[in-house]
Amino acid sequence: MSLLPRLSRSFSSSATRCLATPVTQKPALNKVFKIYRWNPDEPAKKPTLQSYTIDLNQTGPMILDALIKIKNEVDPTLTFRRSCREGICGSCAMNIDGQNTLACLCRIDRNEGKESKIYPLPHMFVVKDLVPDLTLFYKQYKSIKPYLQNSEPPADGKEFLQSPEDRKKLDGMYECILCACCSTSCPSYWWNQDEYLGPATLMQAYRWIADSRDTKTAERKEVLQNEMSLYRCHTIFNCSRTCPKGLNPALAIAKIKMELAAD
Amino acid sequence: MMSTRALGLGSPLRRVILSRGLAPNQALIRSTFTKRAIQTESLPPSAQVDILNKQRLLRPSSPHFTIYQPQMTWIPSIFHRVTGGALSALLYGFSLAYLVAPGTFDSVHVVEFVGGLPDAVKYAGKAVLAAPFVFHSLNGVRHLTWDTLKFMHVKGVYQTGYVVFAGTALGTLALVLL
Amino acid sequence: MSLLASAPKRAISRCLSHSRPLLASRSATTQSDALYVPGGPIYKGTVNDPTSFPTPSRMHGSHHWSFERLLSASLIPLTGAAFATSPSVHPVLDGILGVSLVVHSHMGFDSMLVDYLHPRKYPVLGRIATWTLRTATVGVLVGVYQFNTNDIGLTELISKVWTA
Repeated sequence: MSLLPRLSRSFSSSATRCLATPVTQKPALNKVFKIYRWNPDEPAKKPTLQSYTIDLNQTGPMILDALIKIKNEVDPTLTFRRSCREGICGSCAMNIDGQNTLACLCRIDRNEGKESKIYPLPHMFVVKDLVPDLTLFYKQYKSIKPYLQNSEPPADGKEFLQSPEDRKKLDGMYECILCACCSTSCPSYWWNQDEYLGPATLMQAYRWIADSRDTKTAERKEVLQNEMSLYRCHTIFNCSRTCPKGLNPALAIAKIKMELAAD
Repeated sequence: MMSTRALGLGSPLRRVILSRGLAPNQALIRSTFTKRAIQTESLPPSAQVDILNKQRLLRPSSPHFTIYQPQMTWIPSIFHRVTGGALSALLYGFSLAYLVAPGTFDSVHVVEFVGGLPDAVKYAGKAVLAAPFVFHSLNGVRHLTWDTLKFMHVKGVYQTGYVVFAGTALGTLALVLL
Repeated sequence: MSLLASAPKRAISRCLSHSRPLLASRSATTQSDALYVPGGPIYKGTVNDPTSFPTPSRMHGSHHWSFERLLSASLIPLTGAAFATSPSVHPVLDGILGVSLVVHSHMGFDSMLVDYLHPRKYPVLGRIATWTLRTATVGVLVGVYQFNTNDIGLTELISKVWTA
C-alpha cells in the first residue's frame, strides 16, 4: 500500500520537474506550412494546398517533426508515410520546398517569413495527401532481379568470396534505400515512367551488373538494350542532386552506358 | 482504490465491472433486434483488383516541373534541348524552303536581305543565333565529358555548369562582334 | 492414429488455400491488362508481377547511343575545319558537315518525339509526328545537297550572312 503511491510518483515525474530553474518559455516562432491535400473519399474535389501555422519553438528540428505535430495537434486527417525518423527506411520521401528529400532528414528553414511548401513526390498518382502510389516503382525494381544469380556453387561450399577491390565497386550503390526521391525527380521518369526504369532501379541494375559474384551479367545488360529502359536517361542529374543519402545514380547509369557500348 | 486511481487504472477497471454488469442486457438487446443497421456484401477475392483499379482511376497525378526547384541540373538540360531544337528547326526550315523555292531562298537573295537590315536588328539577330549555338556546343561538350565518366558528380555538374554559362556569355559576345 | 489420418487432409487444405489466391491473381492480371493505358494509373499484372522489358535491340540501344556520341563529337572538328576552309570553296567538307548536322538534328528531334509524343501514348499524333519528321529529314537532305551543289553551301552562306 505504501509502496504503490511512491511508484506512481516516479511514473509521473519528468526531467524538467527535477530542474531547480524552470525552462524559460521561448517566444513563439510561427511558420506557415503549405501542404498538398487530396482526399480519396471526396475524389471530385481538386487537390489543394492547405496552410498550417505552427510554433517552431514547440516543434522538433525536422520537417517530419512539424508534420507529426500538425497531425497530432492540428489536423489528424493529414496523411503521410513515416517510420524510422532517421533516414534509413525511406518512407517519408516527399517534395519539400521544390526538392525531393526525406522529411526526417530535412531541417525546417527557421525563416519565419518564408512559408514551406510540401508536395508528394512529383508526377506520381496520389493515394492520399502526401502518399504516392509506388506500385510501379516496386514492380520495376523487381524486374531487374535484385538478387544474386549464380548457378555455380561457391568454391568452398559455403560462401561466394570477393576481393576487397570487387567489394568496393558496390559502395555507393548498396546503400540505396529505395525512397524513390531520385526517380521522381527525373523529368524523363515523369514523361515515360511506364517504360523507362528511372535512376533508382537503374542504379540497382548496375549494382548487380558490377557484382563480381553474379554470373548473369550478360543477361542483365541485354535486357537494357532497347530505346526505353535505360536510354531515356539524358544525364539531367536531378537524381544525384536530390538523393537524400548522397548517392550518385547518374554515375551508375553512365557506367552502364559505357559497358553496353563496349560490349 | 486510492492506489489504482494513482496508477491511472481506475476507469478501465470501472469499465470492466460495468460491462460485466451490462452483459445480460446486451444479449437481450441483440436477440430482440436481429437486423443490424450495417449491411455487408460478400465479394470474391478477385474483386479486390476491381475495387483498387476503380480507385486508381480517381487518383490525381502530383505536380512536377511547376513545383520543382530550378537547379543547375535540369535547367541547362532543358535549355540544351530547346536551343538544339531551335537551331535544327532553322536548318530544316531553310533547307526545305530552298528545296521548294530555290529562286527565292538562294544565297544572293538571303545575303541581300540581311544586308538591307538596320544594324540594331543585325546585332540582335546575331546574338539570338549565336547564344543558342554557343550554349548548345559548350553544353554538348559537357555532356560528352560526362559520357566518359569525368565530372560525374554533383560538384562537377555545378562547376561545369558555371563554365558553360560563362563561356556562352563570352562566346556570344565574341561572335556578335565578329 | 487420429493424428496420422488428419495429416494428409491438412496438406490438401493447405494446397487449396494456396491455389485459390493464385487463380484469383491470374484472372486479375487479365482484368488489369484490359484497362491498361500506358502512363496511366492502372498497371499490367498484379502488384507482385515485375514489369516487362521490350525486345532487346542493339540498334535502338547501345549502337544508337554510341553513334549519337561519335557524331556529336565529330561535329566539333568538322565545324572548325569547314569554316576554316570555307573561302576556298570546298564542297566536300561542307557537304559532310551539312549531312552530319541534319542527321544530328534528326536524332535530336526523334529523341524529343520518343520522350514527349511516343506512339504508345499518342497512337495517332505520335505516328504522324514520326513520319512527318522522317519525310522532312529526307527533304532537308535533298535541300542541303542542292544548296551545296547549285549554290554556295551552308558554311559559305553563314559566313556571308554574318558579315552582311
